[in-house]
Amino acid sequence: MKMNSCEHLEKVIDYRLHRLTDEQEKEFELHLETCAFCQHELAIEQAIEEELSVKLDPGFIESKVMTRWRLRREQGIRSFWLYAYRVIVLGITAAVLAFILFPFLLRLPIKSFLEINQLASGLERLLGGLPQINPVFVGVGFAYALLIASSIFTIVRTRR
Amino acid sequence: MTSLITIHKGLIFTIILRMTNDYHLSEDLTQDTFIRAFMNMKKVKSGEHFRPWLCTIARNIVRDHYRRNRNSPSVSFEQVEEFQGQSDDPIRRRVVIQDALARLTERDRMLLTLTYYEGLSLREIAETMKMTEANAKVCLHRARKRLRKQLAGYENELL
Repeated sequence: MKMNSCEHLEKVIDYRLHRLTDEQEKEFELHLETCAFCQHELAIEQAIEEELSVKLDPGFIESKVMTRWRLRREQGIRSFWLYAYRVIVLGITAAVLAFILFPFLLRLPIKSFLEINQLASGLERLLGGLPQINPVFVGVGFAYALLIASSIFTIVRTRR
Repeated sequence: MTSLITIHKGLIFTIILRMTNDYHLSEDLTQDTFIRAFMNMKKVKSGEHFRPWLCTIARNIVRDHYRRNRNSPSVSFEQVEEFQGQSDDPIRRRVVIQDALARLTERDRMLLTLTYYEGLSLREIAETMKMTEANAKVCLHRARKRLRKQLAGYENELL
């Protein structure tokens, strides 16, 4: 038999992976005793396995991971408060602008914004004339809605 | 959490090092894997799924790294040159096998690493690789054959 032409060559991997039946395994083990090529191949397979099963150690990374993890969490909490702060500031700005813009758009004196009757009649006037809705009013309203929605979304995402 | 790192760091580091062939990069990516795992801890279904889940995160971390850096893992030539001058057979053998592994596909490398790392069952391997156990068995056999093919001609270094 030539050194590189053993018909059982394919079985070496199967044997190492325990994929042979009991009968095939016994048969192969008998063959192994007499076949130098299969013995050689088996030794190679064992060397590969030995190398692949070497446990590699990254060293003491625990403290590094925990430090980075703590920093990440702190950043998360900090960015949550940052977003919350931004939302509050934007909310106050929006309220102040609304306080000035609303009466202006409703064609009422600024002082009248605090008087509910006048505001109601102003709104009535505005809603009564839907086709003549001021596009600026709609635009500002839409921008506020978008701002509030995106702020809520950001806060929820940061919280997670 | 520290104990989780201690238990699993060897496995995760081995997987990443087999995929990247870069010791320092692997150390960083191992840390990233644990941080991502801690951030998503709620997503793991139960304790028995933890290890495959962690391995999947490690795999994704490596993929993300190479996607961001737009290069693929390769054998560190500095490392090879450094080892070539040495007469120490185990080190030469390690380099030869690392080199052969680097020429395999990412899936083959992952399969072989998971299989030969102590304690991983075929079910865990299949879960990590997102395939059935039967399929994992077949793929493993093929990966072993491909690795052997890559090592043809290096028999003297292996024995």
